[in-house]
Amino acid sequence: MKKTSLSLLKKLFPVALATSLTFSAAAADTVKVGVLHSLSGTMAISETSLKDVLLFTFDEINKGGGIKVGGKNYLIEPVVVDPASDWPLFAEKAEQLLVKDKVAVIFGCWTSVSRKFVLPVVERNNGLLFYPVQYEGEELSQNIFYTAEAVNQQAIPPVDYMLAEGKKKFYLLGSDYVYPRTTNKILKQYLKMKGIPDSDIVEIYTPFGHQDYQTIVAAIKAFAAGGKACVISTLNGDTNIPFFKEFANAGLTSENCPVVSFSISEDEFRGLPAKELAGHLGCWTYFMSLKTPENDKFVKDFLAWVKDPKVTGVDFKVTGVDPKGRVTCSPMNLSRIGVNLWKQAAEKADSFEVDKVRAALIGQKFKGPAGEVTMQENHHLVNNVFIGETLPSGQFKVIKTFNAVAGEPFSEKFLK
Amino acid sequence: MDMAFLLRRIVIFLIAAVILSSLFARGQDTNEFRRILAAAVIADDGDAQLEGIKQLINSSDELVARALAAWRLGELYVLTTGADEKIPILLDSRLDEEGRARAIRIRDGEYLKGETGEEKLFLASDLTPADTTSRLRRTIKTMLDLYAMANPMPRMRRDAVVKLGQEQNPDYLPHFEARQKIETDPEVKRALNEAIQLTRMADESAAVRNPAIIALGELNSINSLHFLKQFRTTATNDPAKYGQETIQALTASIVKIENHIWWGNVVGTVFRGFSLASVLLIAALGLAITFGLMGVINMAHGEVMAVGSYTAFMVQGIFGTGLMFSLFGNPIRIKGFGLTGTGFDAYFVVALMASFIMAALVGLLLERGIIRFLYKRPLESLLATWGVSLVLQQIFRHTFGAANVQVDSPSFLSGSFTFNGSPIGFNRIFVISFALFIVYGTYLLLTKTSLGLQIRAVMQNRNMASCVGVRTDRVNMMTFALGSGLAGMAGCCLSQIANVGPSLGQSYIVDCFMIVVLGGVGNIVGTVTASMGVGMTNQILEPWLGAVLGKIIVLGAIILFLQWRPAGIFVTKSRSLEG
Amino acid sequence: MTQSFPKREFLIVGILAAIVLVVLPCLNAFTPPESAFHVSTFSLSLYGKYLTYAILALGINLLWGYTGILSLGQCLFFSLGGYALGMHLMLMIGRLGQYKADIPDFMVFLEFPAKYPETGGLPPHWIPFKSFWFAALMVVVVPAVVAYIFGWLAFRSRIKGVYFSILSQALTYAACLMFFRNDFTFGGNNGLTDFKTILGYDINSPGVKRALYLCSGGLLLLTYLFCRWLTSTKYGLIQRAIRDSENRVLFSGYATANFKLFVFVLAAIISGVGGALFVPQVSAINPSEMTPAKSLEAVVWVAVGGRGNMLGPIIGAVGINAFKSYATHAFAEQWPYIIGFLFIFVTLFMPKGIIGLPEQFRTIKRRIQQRNKSVDTPAESAVATTSEGVAK
Repeated sequence: MKKTSLSLLKKLFPVALATSLTFSAAAADTVKVGVLHSLSGTMAISETSLKDVLLFTFDEINKGGGIKVGGKNYLIEPVVVDPASDWPLFAEKAEQLLVKDKVAVIFGCWTSVSRKFVLPVVERNNGLLFYPVQYEGEELSQNIFYTAEAVNQQAIPPVDYMLAEGKKKFYLLGSDYVYPRTTNKILKQYLKMKGIPDSDIVEIYTPFGHQDYQTIVAAIKAFAAGGKACVISTLNGDTNIPFFKEFANAGLTSENCPVVSFSISEDEFRGLPAKELAGHLGCWTYFMSLKTPENDKFVKDFLAWVKDPKVTGVDFKVTGVDPKGRVTCSPMNLSRIGVNLWKQAAEKADSFEVDKVRAALIGQKFKGPAGEVTMQENHHLVNNVFIGETLPSGQFKVIKTFNAVAGEPFSEKFLK
Repeated sequence: MDMAFLLRRIVIFLIAAVILSSLFARGQDTNEFRRILAAAVIADDGDAQLEGIKQLINSSDELVARALAAWRLGELYVLTTGADEKIPILLDSRLDEEGRARAIRIRDGEYLKGETGEEKLFLASDLTPADTTSRLRRTIKTMLDLYAMANPMPRMRRDAVVKLGQEQNPDYLPHFEARQKIETDPEVKRALNEAIQLTRMADESAAVRNPAIIALGELNSINSLHFLKQFRTTATNDPAKYGQETIQALTASIVKIENHIWWGNVVGTVFRGFSLASVLLIAALGLAITFGLMGVINMAHGEVMAVGSYTAFMVQGIFGTGLMFSLFGNPIRIKGFGLTGTGFDAYFVVALMASFIMAALVGLLLERGIIRFLYKRPLESLLATWGVSLVLQQIFRHTFGAANVQVDSPSFLSGSFTFNGSPIGFNRIFVISFALFIVYGTYLLLTKTSLGLQIRAVMQNRNMASCVGVRTDRVNMMTFALGSGLAGMAGCCLSQIANVGPSLGQSYIVDCFMIVVLGGVGNIVGTVTASMGVGMTNQILEPWLGAVLGKIIVLGAIILFLQWRPAGIFVTKSRSLEG
Repeated sequence: MTQSFPKREFLIVGILAAIVLVVLPCLNAFTPPESAFHVSTFSLSLYGKYLTYAILALGINLLWGYTGILSLGQCLFFSLGGYALGMHLMLMIGRLGQYKADIPDFMVFLEFPAKYPETGGLPPHWIPFKSFWFAALMVVVVPAVVAYIFGWLAFRSRIKGVYFSILSQALTYAACLMFFRNDFTFGGNNGLTDFKTILGYDINSPGVKRALYLCSGGLLLLTYLFCRWLTSTKYGLIQRAIRDSENRVLFSGYATANFKLFVFVLAAIISGVGGALFVPQVSAINPSEMTPAKSLEAVVWVAVGGRGNMLGPIIGAVGINAFKSYATHAFAEQWPYIIGFLFIFVTLFMPKGIIGLPEQFRTIKRRIQQRNKSVDTPAESAVATTSEGVAK
């Protein structure tokens, strides 16, 4: 039965068959989209959630009828690869997605170094990459859109807040790589502009995966003994746990020495002793606790989706989604915003061609869970920025909002 | 513009006048403070709000304290009624199914009622929070700190006193002195004394100032060091104003406190060195048996540790609120006992044993399934176990999720005491004693039991042992299980100080091998010595060179040390030429 | 383990070389992209990466398979070679970087102009790398010198076996931490990236990619032939004798430490050259190439392919990496299981690796035949077991 109808079809629409055969027989037109996040290796801890939210967003869009381009509705067909926290493999997988799978766009990367490895690849093949994780800036590629927080969106606001709270001494603690170094360099300059003397700023770095924070915490305790001190932490995800455990055990609290962390979001909180972190601060362009209708829907839909993960309309089996204890966080929100901005731009350009989509992306607006965002000429977003205090529940309570902060990748521009 | 400004001033004046007059008129009854607070919340002017809050200094009303704390966090709401009347309210902590709560009116502490007398319910997200500014929040904080001086928990009292003292505000002196009279806790008493002296230090008159400075030195007050130093800078710049006597007193006190801190640092560094050494030792001890004694290069050692950590996580879930994980894609839910307090804390003891058993079982499987075929080709055990480690990591990821899981510290392992300013954590003390315990246990097992005898016999000469009737196959199995079990216990123990995630093992494996090799393969005493040496060196170097360079130098030192003693610190004597 | 160059091997190598060096590049250059036979520049470049890994594997094999020294730090030399060329490529970016400055971007950002004002921000040791030939020389010299110093220290004090393995691991780990530091002037964690030109040509053009691929293939062939020749000389004999019993060689009057040092330096040079070809094809290098896990992985390629002969490591390196490329795409969630079980399987059931499979089959076949007639000739099977014991 099926065979006869197929052969009939073959006579009638040879072209249509050729496309539909590659996908499931039932599928409408599809557009391939690459997901480039580590699912194994050390970075899987953070990146797996971004893969999940991307698939969720594709499902959302497909359910809503897909992307309207050229009078047709295209469903998103994800191509998920695992670059395994290995940077050369990131470059290889990105090129594979662009050259072999011919994806229209890639969503991916977490660490700066992975982006640096992918950058020449997307430029060489004129691909499109959306990068969703807060980073150090000092980069602007025509082929990358940075939905991520730039330093002026994430680092400066909480320092302003700390200064307003009467803090006079700053302990800048970071993992030894480019993002913390850059952020701290900018913060030092900024603090100096605000009249904090060099003697009251300490800058310390620890290696990746550092487990022993005894000495540093003892030093912070001595530093904070005189009061009016705070810690600005750019430690990366994993090392926060030994640090905060040590910190809490040494009798330091958010009362006598608050910590502002730039890389702890709700998702990282799942592995952290939340009650020991209560009262410390975070700064992002999104918090799960935001009360907007868009966010309520996002959170509710996502939590429902992880229980029964699928991508509607295309032949793609979703695996490896952890159903329990899930949360949403800023990088996840920014991933989702990236997909939606790209969708709108493709619809506006009426094409999936990179050059046309890129042109259409500039000025594209999207009303996300944290308010409206706008893509600027400089490939960064105008976004609302929130400072949040951590609660024992692992959520953030917003204590200050900065509306419509324009992301600026180059520090020389915003330090002037 | 001018008119508006004038009007504003008048309003402030009026509000202040109302507040003040009400104060004088009725004294300090509870409702009065509540009314002041309510007025301050809805006042349009920041200065008036500040003035209002400062009035609350003598309040002992619990509702006022609660409302202030809520205001600071944005949980105090302003309800605007039809008549444009603004009512500051606080929501009850008890919520109904829809998340609604009753509203407490700040003005009188009554529940807000509807026309028919029923209590009205509100959803927090529907209400407008009262505005705050950072200046306001700081003032509120000070007020809360003053209240906190009467908190039943000594720690809270102490923190509040320290903080208030550092403001050097003479207005607080009467409060400190009042509190000092009734305070019983020695630590809080000391903090009060410090706070008083610190506040007096800023006094204009040298007669008040100088004894306070000397007293701070006598108290070895680390918290005041920063202030003393700052003051010295100011005083030396203007000796005419402050006088030589003050400068001398300052210098003497600073020297005394710095001396005090120096001792604290020495003891702290030694303690931290011991503690890091213990961590390394605990992590490496299992490997000292599987690799050192048996010669199996087990690259999955770290993952066996992770088995222990995840076991701790599971036991914690069973004792607590239950846990959920997916086994090969099938979600499994285990109901917890729902214990709290000491009952829950007991989970850790059970977890330690369970992690040993689980990891030993995994080790047993590993030995039976893979390792036993590779005793003759030890280097190849490296390759097979590398594969095992990849598989195990992915299993963790798919079972417990890719994110780190949270293992709570039982309350008896949280907290610390300080020695001359250096924090000494209880969890660290536990780690050190645990290291001593398992090393001693392993030593006893290997030297005093018949199993230990057999293990040593097999490890020294497999064929000979076999000839004299030792069941080498069984002994191999037991030894590997023992080593793995120790690794599992290590994982459980380290869950108290580090993260628990799928790639946990990777952060220990290089260090572990290094320790065992440095100590001398096949020698447990060597492993102990090596971890002591590495831990100490690391902690001594870190304050000077930073964590990164410190670690590099330790690695370099190990490389050079092995030039001098190519088979580690303790060489296992053997008559075989090829060793 | 035959000493001569048997015809069969000659044939296999010839055919493989022809495919790698002639057929694939031609298919890339002369067939239209829509043709079924077309090899895309991406694929070619990817194969080029595998070939550089194969060069690394040959170095490891020379050390481990032939001399019995298991170094778990070979990727250090691979990276050092890569960094040496990477530095040159970094300087060749010129004003095409983000800051349009004369020095590489990361130096602008880390305020090197303030640190090294007399050179305009370029640290002094970077200056000679402006010359390609100097950089090319350093690709060989730097790994060689590091290997010489480390090897001299280690072999002089007769560190061997697993001690040497762990020590080499410590070396690469320390170097990795060192390179991660921004103060070390090699770009820190972000490493060296975004190269634009090589010898004046656009590094991203298909022609250059093809040339780099051909270089990798050619060098692999040369390395292969060199190793093949070396191991068949008297020198190679001593090498293997050291592997099998160092003390006996020592007591026969050979300075084994010098032999080992020579092989170690040689292997480092081979790795360095591989690394130097790796970097322009991947367009970036960062210190994570030096992490102990990477070196361990390279050892695993050799083991899977089969050590102690020259084709095995090449098959292992290319095979595993090709499989990884495929599996991380096709089974993004499950591939670690597959590859993990593969390692276990190979170790347990294929002690001689993939290359040893035919021999293994022959042994099994022979054994089955023997069993059929062994009832009356037990002595023969005894001989077979002993020879197997020796072969291990």
